[in-house]
Amino acid sequence: MAWLEGSTLGHLMRDSGVWTYAVVNLAHILGVALLFGSIFVLDLRLLGVWRRVPLADLARPTVAIAGSGLALAAMTGPGLLATKATDYIGNPFLPIKLIAVALGILNVVVLHRLPAWKARANPDLNLSQRRQLAIAGGASLACWLTAISAGRLIAYW
Amino acid sequence: MYQRSLFIAASALALSLSVPAFAHHGWGGNVDQVSDMTGTVVKGVSLAGPHATMRINAEGHDWDITLAPPYRTQESGLKEGTIPMGATVTVRGNRNRDAKRYEMKTIQVRWADKRFDVYPERE
Repeated sequence: MAWLEGSTLGHLMRDSGVWTYAVVNLAHILGVALLFGSIFVLDLRLLGVWRRVPLADLARPTVAIAGSGLALAAMTGPGLLATKATDYIGNPFLPIKLIAVALGILNVVVLHRLPAWKARANPDLNLSQRRQLAIAGGASLACWLTAISAGRLIAYW
Repeated sequence: MYQRSLFIAASALALSLSVPAFAHHGWGGNVDQVSDMTGTVVKGVSLAGPHATMRINAEGHDWDITLAPPYRTQESGLKEGTIPMGATVTVRGNRNRDAKRYEMKTIQVRWADKRFDVYPERE
């Protein structure tokens, strides 16, 4: 944490004007909004809601927007942390958030390797395939809800 | 199916509404009583992050002095380097509710003959 605070990123965040943190924070929140807003829709579909909406059609925009949101959040997060990194030592919500984000990304990797996901263009998935997708969708919801909740609570510790 | 999606949406809404109930950022984590504290600056004013900060040694401990957001703190006249290290300052504000956390949310900083009202409306 001391290393991160003393890094070039830390100095840049602290020494480039009084609005820097606010603007980077805004970008981070926009990233989170894009990620969760779109993945929430896909996760509900994987859980079996709106079954008449073709999964492949829904997956294209939601995955693209969620991926962009994740990238934006991941690019801005380290800057927010580096500003006063040592302040967060002992804050339990930070590790909870980081683990949840890591598990969320791992879940994406696993989902994209599932045969059921690869067969998403097929409108008649069998019960076992639907179950696999539902588990991945539920796991995704749990990961991102935990990440967002813990992330917000960092400020309240 | 329509009922089920309604149920899920309602659960999500309930979950999101339950968060603010225990998350009171700002002044909720600090005592209502306003008090003064005099000490020496061990870490000067920083205008970085969600709130400007400084650290003073007072009453035998190092206290984290939480100021207003950076822009607002700067507008009160308090900038980085305004108060030198080791200077004696008096801060007025609300101490953390947790007696083991030496932190104060600050309304006003006084140094020499200067006064910085970072939260004038809380006076």
